[in-house]
Amino acid sequence: MRKFFIGTRLRVVELTRQPLTLGMLILLPPAVIEMYGIAVASFPQLPSLGADPATVGRITGTLFSVAFLAGLIGLFQVISARNGDERVAIAGFSRRIMLTSRLITMVVVSLAGAVVAFLVFNFRVTVANPLMAFWILTLAGLVYGLLGVIIGTLIPQPLEGSIVLVFMADLDNALSSGLFPLTASISLPVMGEIAVTDLVPLYHPHELFVSAVLQGELAAEHLLPVLGWIGGLLLVAFLAYGQSTGEGWIGMVPGWSK
Amino acid sequence: MSKSIKSQTGSEGKIVLQGKNLEKTYKPPVPFAGRRVTVLTGADITLYQGEIVGIVGENGSGKSTLMKILVGALQPDGGNVTDDVRIGWCPQETRLYDRLTVEETFELFAEAYDMSNEYMQKRREALAEKLDFKRFLDYRIDHLSGGNRQKVNLSVALLHEPEVLLLDEPYTGFDWETYLAFWNLTDTLVDKGTTIAIISHLISERERFDRILELKNGQLHEQEGPPGEPRSAAHREEEKNEEENGSTEN
Repeated sequence: MRKFFIGTRLRVVELTRQPLTLGMLILLPPAVIEMYGIAVASFPQLPSLGADPATVGRITGTLFSVAFLAGLIGLFQVISARNGDERVAIAGFSRRIMLTSRLITMVVVSLAGAVVAFLVFNFRVTVANPLMAFWILTLAGLVYGLLGVIIGTLIPQPLEGSIVLVFMADLDNALSSGLFPLTASISLPVMGEIAVTDLVPLYHPHELFVSAVLQGELAAEHLLPVLGWIGGLLLVAFLAYGQSTGEGWIGMVPGWSK
Repeated sequence: MSKSIKSQTGSEGKIVLQGKNLEKTYKPPVPFAGRRVTVLTGADITLYQGEIVGIVGENGSGKSTLMKILVGALQPDGGNVTDDVRIGWCPQETRLYDRLTVEETFELFAEAYDMSNEYMQKRREALAEKLDFKRFLDYRIDHLSGGNRQKVNLSVALLHEPEVLLLDEPYTGFDWETYLAFWNLTDTLVDKGTTIAIISHLISERERFDRILELKNGQLHEQEGPPGEPRSAAHREEEKNEEENGSTEN
């Protein structure tokens, strides 16, 4: 437990010593939310949007800014610390604890991103259920923070990893926003026929956020899929980290080591 | 000076670390996206308690790969490593967290080594005193000069008083005083029974080592030569032999 606390504390300390990251955390959400609001305001008022276009734009921008920032920080946390992590692990620090402390840092980043983005969003849009909306933003940050950690683990190069994350977040945001009402669907084993938009990571957080902002209600049918995404990504993150660091997936299981 | 320990123990000395038939080939991550580089082709290494061994070889000969395999940072394609001792590893690149201070770095590694806080502080103070970086303890790693960073890099490997110390180009960036302090420290450690293996592409003071192993064509060969003979003299001897062989062939 002591290792876990010291590891987590030092990860957070490291994070707070990155002025550029902290600056992005403060400056990026207002800029992105406003730009999305302005850009989407020129959209025609379609019934499928569910709200006026500017609000829809700000909703989309808020989710995107929280998710993308958390993803970027997750990605660079893993890539920049790879060599240090390897040495500390050889010295005796469990890789499982190291990854867990990184993931705790991700929660802190997601919370911080959600606070900033929510304050900006709430300044411009009347939110029906502020607390619920805030927690949903945090969940969206967690989903992308985990995706960032996984991408950084599998593609440990800053440029290549960032490119993957940028394209993924952009595509995901466009598909999940509802701005482009796509009807394409695919047939999957177990799940059956499913809309393509339902498969992207931000779709369910987006639906939850819209419901919390506009109706003040919890869209319960979307909560479980979000938790499923987080659980699945956590599992993949541990497996990928174990494999890429030579620990092996079994080494990431509590009570087991190589 | 401790260099006589090996000659005292000879092949009878206690084996502290052994690598047998080590093989390693770097393959491109994607087929046809790069070249395969074979660096180790059945390398054998045995380290005895209390000896100081130099590992030499030209650039790209696989010295750092060998050391990574010995510490467990890299899996060999073939062969195995056996050890049951505390190992300290000082890699060529510092492999520390840039945004942590020197004190925080020691705290993190002490935790990894399962050291108590009091013991860590005692060791940290002693190392900082010996290698002269006490005034930089509250500096961030990325705010240190190359030489001071290397001192911390080395000290992290020494923190838990390892029984085997594997050092990869440990004195890069050291000034003369620190270089001498480094050798003074290694003498003290070897006197206590610590085994030290030092990788260098250029070993200029052969008399400081009990043995010199040369990594060539993926395998280690012990360099022959009278103990204590300066490396430069051994070089001259080799060059003389080569010249003689060359003139015979002609």
